[in-house]
Amino acid sequence: MRASSLLLMRYPSDPVPTREPTATMAMQRFTKEELAQYDGVHSERILIACQGKVYDVSRSFLWQKGKHQALHRAGCDLTPFLKDAPHGLDLLQRFPVVGILVED
Amino acid sequence: MAKVAREMVEKAGVNVDELIELLVKNASAELTTYYYYTILRANLIGLEGEGLKEIAEAARIEDRNHFEALVPRIYELGGKLPRDMTDFHDISACSPAYLPDDPTDIRAMLTVLVEAERCAVRGYSHICNLTAGKDHRTYDLALSILHEEIEHESWFSEFLGEGPSGHFMRRGETSPFVSKFLR
Repeated sequence: MRASSLLLMRYPSDPVPTREPTATMAMQRFTKEELAQYDGVHSERILIACQGKVYDVSRSFLWQKGKHQALHRAGCDLTPFLKDAPHGLDLLQRFPVVGILVED
Repeated sequence: MAKVAREMVEKAGVNVDELIELLVKNASAELTTYYYYTILRANLIGLEGEGLKEIAEAARIEDRNHFEALVPRIYELGGKLPRDMTDFHDISACSPAYLPDDPTDIRAMLTVLVEAERCAVRGYSHICNLTAGKDHRTYDLALSILHEEIEHESWFSEFLGEGPSGHFMRRGETSPFVSKFLR
């Protein structure tokens, strides 16, 4: 099987269904420094934050290697960029919320 | 490379390397969509599917035209296409428009088609926003493609029952907005 085929299997579809944390799931708290570890370059897990929530975009075709549309990097708070993005929060909400972003 | 043309864009405050990367990613989205739509179109069969085949075909051909129109601008600005086709596929600005697990599910087919078009509409709106008043040629190209992508979205959206598209399908010729870049 070719490498690209394996890559496609890793990204079966985009977007993935939302999986909001339930009451039984512990809401993990991330500082900016902790979030930065999940940038998709130094980690397989790819996380981004927006408006206080931390989303897991690891399975997104559009966040491969922690980069999105040539302009954005994972592992940080993207709230300031949302106003200029060609989409709203609704697209982000299709991804699992895995925690909240807290002050250092 | 069109050296002065690139300088003018840089001088206007556009990050040209980022812009080139966006154009390449969108060129990839167009060519890969052309490929995936070929499969979708082939599977649009039966009483429901046959009615969609024509618009899927028009969207497929126009997406290929968009690829053809984007490539010269990429090279003008000093960019290039990846040497390896598999790399090109994997940097697409949009997710692959895969055939649904159940290819007889016409609604699932339409959802794949409309989501692909919506990704394209977002992408070219973004490029227009980045280049408006700064890079006139890329803006004109992105706007022309955007016109067609919006029409594609509205065709598929209409069939999903989201409301009238507001206009007719193509009558004969394709790419009414982008054709000026293909001559």
